[in-house]
Amino acid sequence: MGIVKASDVVYEYIRRDEEGNVEGITTAVDKVSFEIAPGEFVAILGHNGSGKSTLAKHINAILNPTEGTVWVDGMDTGDEDRLWDIRQTAGMVFQNPDNQIIGQVVEEDVGFGPENIGIPTKQIWERVEESLRAVGMYEYRKHSPNRLSGGQKQRVSIAGVLAMHPKCIVLDEPTAMLDPSGRREVIRAVRGLNQVEGVTVILITHYMEEIIHADRVFVMDQGKIAMEGTPREIFSQVERLKELRLDVPQVTLLAYELKKRGVSLPDGILTPQELADALTGQKRGQS
Amino acid sequence: MSIILDHVNYTYGEGTPLETAALKDVCLQIPDGQFVGIIGHTGSGKSTLVQHLNGLLKATSGHIYFNGEDISDKEYDRKKLRSRVGLVFQYPEHQLFETDVFTDVCFGPKNLGLDRRETELRAYDALRKVGLPDSLFYQSPFDLSGGQKRRAAIAGVLAMKPEVLILDEPTAGLDPRGRDEILGQIKELQTTTGMTILLVSHSMEDVAEYVDRIIVMNQGSVMYDGVPREVFAHYRELESVGLAAPQVTYILHELRDRGLDVDAAATTIGEAADTVMRALGRSSGPGERQIRTNA
Amino acid sequence: MLRDITLGQYYQTDSVIHRLDPRVKLGGTLLFILSLFFFQRYPGYLAAALFLGIVIKLSHVPFRFMVRGMKAIVFLLILTVAFNLFLTPGKELVSFWKLTITWEGVKTAAAMAVRLTMLIIGSSIMTLTTTPNNLTDGMEKMMRPLRVFKVPVHEVAMMMSIALRFIPILLEETDKIMKAQIARGADFESGNLLKRAKAMVPLLVPLFVSAFRRANDLALAMEARCYRGGEGRTKMKPLVYQKRDRIAYLCILLYLAVSITVGRLVWMWI
Repeated sequence: MGIVKASDVVYEYIRRDEEGNVEGITTAVDKVSFEIAPGEFVAILGHNGSGKSTLAKHINAILNPTEGTVWVDGMDTGDEDRLWDIRQTAGMVFQNPDNQIIGQVVEEDVGFGPENIGIPTKQIWERVEESLRAVGMYEYRKHSPNRLSGGQKQRVSIAGVLAMHPKCIVLDEPTAMLDPSGRREVIRAVRGLNQVEGVTVILITHYMEEIIHADRVFVMDQGKIAMEGTPREIFSQVERLKELRLDVPQVTLLAYELKKRGVSLPDGILTPQELADALTGQKRGQS
Repeated sequence: MSIILDHVNYTYGEGTPLETAALKDVCLQIPDGQFVGIIGHTGSGKSTLVQHLNGLLKATSGHIYFNGEDISDKEYDRKKLRSRVGLVFQYPEHQLFETDVFTDVCFGPKNLGLDRRETELRAYDALRKVGLPDSLFYQSPFDLSGGQKRRAAIAGVLAMKPEVLILDEPTAGLDPRGRDEILGQIKELQTTTGMTILLVSHSMEDVAEYVDRIIVMNQGSVMYDGVPREVFAHYRELESVGLAAPQVTYILHELRDRGLDVDAAATTIGEAADTVMRALGRSSGPGERQIRTNA
Repeated sequence: MLRDITLGQYYQTDSVIHRLDPRVKLGGTLLFILSLFFFQRYPGYLAAALFLGIVIKLSHVPFRFMVRGMKAIVFLLILTVAFNLFLTPGKELVSFWKLTITWEGVKTAAAMAVRLTMLIIGSSIMTLTTTPNNLTDGMEKMMRPLRVFKVPVHEVAMMMSIALRFIPILLEETDKIMKAQIARGADFESGNLLKRAKAMVPLLVPLFVSAFRRANDLALAMEARCYRGGEGRTKMKPLVYQKRDRIAYLCILLYLAVSITVGRLVWMWI
């Protein structure tokens, strides 16, 4: 079995008006099934309100499915007795960097998780050091989080999860509140985690350029998985992505535009180099 | 009539160990009706700059003239200035506080001392301008979705009928569709009302399509100031200060380096496609004509 | 601006005082404050000032930084001095309007000013050289015996340290909301008391909403990182007394002995 497996997961919540009367039921996640292999890098895309964050919170047992089951490393997330094992196996990084840092010194924050799971003092220090090094924040270990940039704070948050030695990390829009350089920093750290440390990564985002390096992409819409495939497969469907309220990288958009005007190009071009290769081939072919 | 900044300097925490120069000798002129993008990464001074324009921050030295009058003058009515230069802060939905959207939007005009009729007219007008449906007017602002909250908050500033509207990162945290909708609405506002608009952003790609002019801020100074295609020509320098030109710029430069004769200054997908088609030796009909008229 | 309040904010540097166990600093500060109220005469203050001077020197915190932090409470200091100056009965020195200054008043006021200044500097040295986390750790450990009486010592300490972490964030947020409302024509400065209180609504509502949202997010993040109270928790930085801590305790005791001798006994002989 994969590291994370979901089978027919439904999550409903009841809307109430001001007096507390039930107004209706919203289905945020609607019969979703998937399986993620250890070491995979999966991106979940979707516009705001598509259900992607709700789905993500199931993996960390913050939410429990109304119907269906989620397993993390073989453990049913509905199993109360395994709750802390599940949270230790699947770590979670949230959107707002300010609201998830508990410590007042970087290293103390990273040590918070290991302290909670009862790791002996000496090992906490080892874990803190290796985690901070893994995200490139070791020189900042004595700093106050308030003085860091958004990207740096998010890297500290990632280190805080990493120090618990999870097998899987779920990142819920970790870059939504950052500027472009902060976004690049965080994505670089996440890729390092996946490639160097071999941690399974589930990245939730609405920025297209962040998913190019994923092994697999799920696109969510109205609580369902609307598209699934490699980034290249996903990006080759420009029209469908636009329907789902998503962006397409400019290079893909340009290739799409050129194709519409009759230039023959392969599907799902992802980088400027690829486009240049394809176009210079054209030119040579013509002359 | 315009905004003129004459050698404006601003220092935070003057006389303390934390003293930092946030603005250094900024000189700018912003004519009426222009749509300006102010770009810079976090800490470049862009937010500090716009807070000067409506008198929230006072320049340490230098002068700012609004419609010919010095706003740091003792006689100058700064309260009035704030209604004429509307400033929408980052995450403006965090300032909503009333029990319903409509009353919240009324807050600004009411503070201007307008009568009830005029206040409500303006609030209604502002809410229509940001495209919020009538059915939401009497909802609690806290029950709206993220994008709707943001519109309501922008309406709260628009209701003061400013001549200049400044928006600090109005698209932060929104998804691509939400971002396009808000930016489209702002652009429409500018074309229909002729309002001067200053859009603060850290993303060139987002603003390139909408603005007439880009001002790049770096370490408290103006680094570049010009039409988008001029500014993006400096894409290497922009990169060295943590900014990036739109991806299109990179693609076109890559193509030109490989011997394809493209016009690397194109800033939108349409323009880029036109120039690539021409370089490939294929005419692309209407697009090409458009380029000529632009040039 | 709100951020200028530096009273008791941790000053990051490395010094012997910084490295001391927080319990030593807590206990030491308490004893120092008590000592200030032991003596009635100036030689005692001299001893206290000397001790304080040495500690300041050792702490590597610039004296200027400490004094700047005190600006916020100068008002309190003046008030206390004024009260003592005018309200102490005794031999009349000067009198004007309805106010009388007595010789005794001058003496008590001077003593009070010296005491208060030293008290404030003394306790701010503790907070300047100890991270708030360290401080709450120290309190948690010192108050551990109270658990017998069902006092939730760990929870209280955790709440305090979280509150301290969020104070600067909320201050910044207050500043931002205030500016945003001023940009919408809000007026926080003029009008009578009632009007001003009403003007605070547009500031307070968003601030509370934001604080609750942050609290909710933080609780979620803490649970996601397996926080479940103090039970079974280990410490990254457990408090263990070192040699320097024992020496520090000795120094404090020595100071106490000297200051009491100088402050009370020596004076009586003269």
